[in-house]
Amino acid sequence: MLFSYKWLESLIEGKIPKPQKLAELLTMHSFEVEEIEKRGQDFVLDIAVLPDRGSDCLSHLGIAREISAILRKKLKELKREKLKTIKGKIKPIKLKIGCPRLVSRYSAIVLENVKIASSPRWLRERLKSLGLRSVNNVVDLTNFIMLETGQPLHAFDYDKIKGQKIIIRLSKKGEKLITLDDKKHTLDKDILVIEDQNRLIDLVGIMGGKNSEVDFKTKNIVLQAGNFDRWTIYQGIKKLNFSTQAANIYIHGFDPNLSILALERIHYLFKKLSQGQIVQIIDVYPKKVKLSKIKLDLKHVENLLGIKISANEIKNILTHLHFNVTRKSKVILEVKVPTWRLDISISEDLIEEIGRISGFQKIPSLFPTVALIPPQKNLNIFWENLNKDILKEAGFSEVYNSSFINKKEAEISNFKLTKLIEVKNPTSLDYQYLRPSLIPKLLINARDNLKNFQDIRIFELGKVFKEKSGSRRNSISSKTLGYRSGGRKDKSLAGEKRMLSGLISGDSFYELKGVIDLFLEKLGIVDVYYDNFQPTPETSEMMIWNLQKCAEIKIGNSEVGFLGEIKSDILRKLKIKEKIIVFDLDFEKLQKLADEQHEYRPISQYPAAIRDIALLVPREVRVADVLNVIERVGGGTIIDVDLFDIYEGEELPMGKKNLAFHLIYQAENKTLSSKEIDAIQKKIIKALEKNREWEVRR
Amino acid sequence: MAKINLKLLKKEAAKKVKKAQNLKELDKIFKKYLGKQGKLTQILRSLKKLPKEKRKKIGGEANSLKSFLEKIIEEKRKTLEKKSQEELNKKEWMDVTLPGKKIQIGHLHPLTQTKREVENIFQSLGFSVVEGPEIENEWYNFDALNIPKDHPARDMWDTLYLKPQKLLLRTHTSPVQIRYLERNQPPLRIIVPGRVYRREATDASHEINFYQVEGLMVDRKGKVSVANFKAIIEEFVKRFFGQSVQIRLRPSFFPFTEPSFEVDISCVVCSQKGCSTCQGTGWIEAMGAGMVHPNVFKNAGLNPQEWQGFAFGMGMDRLAMMKYKINDIRLFYGGDLRFLNQF
Repeated sequence: MLFSYKWLESLIEGKIPKPQKLAELLTMHSFEVEEIEKRGQDFVLDIAVLPDRGSDCLSHLGIAREISAILRKKLKELKREKLKTIKGKIKPIKLKIGCPRLVSRYSAIVLENVKIASSPRWLRERLKSLGLRSVNNVVDLTNFIMLETGQPLHAFDYDKIKGQKIIIRLSKKGEKLITLDDKKHTLDKDILVIEDQNRLIDLVGIMGGKNSEVDFKTKNIVLQAGNFDRWTIYQGIKKLNFSTQAANIYIHGFDPNLSILALERIHYLFKKLSQGQIVQIIDVYPKKVKLSKIKLDLKHVENLLGIKISANEIKNILTHLHFNVTRKSKVILEVKVPTWRLDISISEDLIEEIGRISGFQKIPSLFPTVALIPPQKNLNIFWENLNKDILKEAGFSEVYNSSFINKKEAEISNFKLTKLIEVKNPTSLDYQYLRPSLIPKLLINARDNLKNFQDIRIFELGKVFKEKSGSRRNSISSKTLGYRSGGRKDKSLAGEKRMLSGLISGDSFYELKGVIDLFLEKLGIVDVYYDNFQPTPETSEMMIWNLQKCAEIKIGNSEVGFLGEIKSDILRKLKIKEKIIVFDLDFEKLQKLADEQHEYRPISQYPAAIRDIALLVPREVRVADVLNVIERVGGGTIIDVDLFDIYEGEELPMGKKNLAFHLIYQAENKTLSSKEIDAIQKKIIKALEKNREWEVRR
Repeated sequence: MAKINLKLLKKEAAKKVKKAQNLKELDKIFKKYLGKQGKLTQILRSLKKLPKEKRKKIGGEANSLKSFLEKIIEEKRKTLEKKSQEELNKKEWMDVTLPGKKIQIGHLHPLTQTKREVENIFQSLGFSVVEGPEIENEWYNFDALNIPKDHPARDMWDTLYLKPQKLLLRTHTSPVQIRYLERNQPPLRIIVPGRVYRREATDASHEINFYQVEGLMVDRKGKVSVANFKAIIEEFVKRFFGQSVQIRLRPSFFPFTEPSFEVDISCVVCSQKGCSTCQGTGWIEAMGAGMVHPNVFKNAGLNPQEWQGFAFGMGMDRLAMMKYKINDIRLFYGGDLRFLNQF
């Protein structure tokens, strides 16, 4: 909100610092001053009043109180005039409050024979410097009072209120009203309004109606100072998508005791500008707000702030903020809270006041002197770091993508929309669904980067989201979940889990498979194997893979992920010309299987021997099947099998391929004789040739 | 005869040595005269057949010829060696200014690197790193943090809600405070890094998803104060940005802390001379913080009479942007390798 430096100055006894210095003080003790602008003879400060202080500081009086406390100077008393009625000629206003719960106070004065004119220069300039247009003396004064005291006022032309009726109630859907700024509003239900005999005349707390506006012909007026339910006004401006400075004050709520003060103040100023006589005072204030008391333990002040501030200094600070302080004992103060400080209810609130006015910069830096408790190791983060490092070493770059995908991205990747978690209020359709997989965005990364790079290797480790089965039925009531028994459940509320996915561009299935092998080995996972994928109708989401060129990655009995080429039609839709090979690993499973205990295996002192086997097999035979045989028969003496050549060509019989392996023999406890090796080799050949279509070439 | 032979030999050999073009030729010459079967060697060997007188004379002459030849051959060798080294150098010359062969390496995301650094610093100060879910309910994200329902204060956090349950994407990492306090008995010190979400239009400084790191230290009443917070956070800031960086606290408001403050750090770009990053003020807003509100303890099942503590939260993206002088947050989430390969 904008504040006039001169105006603030006029409210304080004595001199105040120059604008720049004042701004610094306010920033360090109260609220951030975001901008200072010179306007004519005045300076305008843009002050970001904190949300909890909207109730008392969206006014010059409020900020002046802050300044007076910071400078320890006195505030000037605002000149006011007691409200007294004289007998008038016009009929009294009949007030009816249809929703008493929403009106904590309704004060108004009715004035007869007012003289509407242009405002005097001082008033016009005050308003102008803060960007308000001058209308006439009445309207300008109501604005002035609002900016000064924080009590929004509204003036009705008495003679335009039909039947002298003011009925405050909630709107019905479809009711219409044109506001002072000529905007037409069609209302939703439950917006606070004022109706006269038969039409709406005010959007309460937001803006008055055009139909009851004060103009230069106006003779009699009703000046209203209300205090309305902040939540209702708040919802009102949301429903209307329309707000005003007054509404901004109302949504914070403020002290109901302010209404009469504001009317007395306007009455004082009014008498000078426009004669007019009060003929009626309305003041409905069913539940008077009283001062509350807080016990303040001085030891607690010191405990919390970490600095000792003397009782006198505390008293001094609080008194300048208009708290009433009584010393009850050596360590206890009783503090009465002024009714406008809606933000103060516990002693910690007072400690904040003491801390900030005294100055947070005065608090020293002191390391805590507490028991040394070593931090716990976070295994999730340990494994994430390790995995990321391995992939980085393998030449992969890490990307972070958005957690959202749009409909098109979901459809291209064949995800069923009904299985996705949908965002209720996305800012744009690009953020309509939570990502069920990291792959769609990775493919887009690949496409975009292929414009600048030939060889893409990227990965991401992040959360994916899927509807938990059955979660709709036992939908979580946030209360029960939080309060007692349920609160202990620290499980995720919907299906979210970490995935580790990555891709490589080009026709490089085996290269990526090699990376995965290396990667799993580094994690200490040994019993990994790859299996052809058998799709079922439910596994629609697997339909991103080229089924001829994809494999399930299995460890023991559990499937931990996928490796394969992306289907060509998906690539075509994404306008990717290269082949893309992707891995997609369930990181939660992987982490469970990974073993940090990386054990050193002694290097055998005995020499290794290499024998080769060339095997002619039908094309569709899988290398894994051949390896299984070799390893089963070879047992512990074969420490490694290395496939060094695959050949399919003209010299070979149709439909056959030749596989060539190095078999590496080594024992840990002795030198294997060539006799021993030959015997095992023979056994292996025999086992391989049990299969009639397999032929070991000699 | 022998006399003439020696003279001739000397002349002949000296001429040959002079003519030698390379070390190989010089070696041959050496062998020819001084080798096992060399001419001079043979003469020396034949001396013992001569009578004593003659032997003495010719022997002396032959020996001096030997040392003469050795000398000139050695000299020649040095010259030739130098020459051949020069030739070799010429042949092996290369342009060291040619660019090295490009090695393709991988890169960790700048946010990962920032996150690790933050975690390392706080771990060394005794903070454990904990995490929590990204999908939250209203209790943990708001109510338990003393942000009541039907309160405009909730507007401070523009929230993305999910269909169909009453769930939401966490707007901050603060829910983990409650989750952790529910299951762990203080005293405790944690930081919580993680992805959070805001319903905001994206631009150079706003993203719909970004990273925060939350901190919480709780101990017995009187054991942990604003002064302690200042020391911890100053230590963090100095280790992360450098020893010269200063902090300042100014008043702020968060429903879950009381007192609350904003922590500014002295501008790391201009060292407080005034620049566009700090908008000329010399200070940059770095985090929100405060002393844990008693209601937060209550909501987590702890007695606020017994415990007190501080909490803070800062944007990881902002830390990274300040550290690496990045001016657009969207670069973090665009997957552009031209950007990522710089880290």
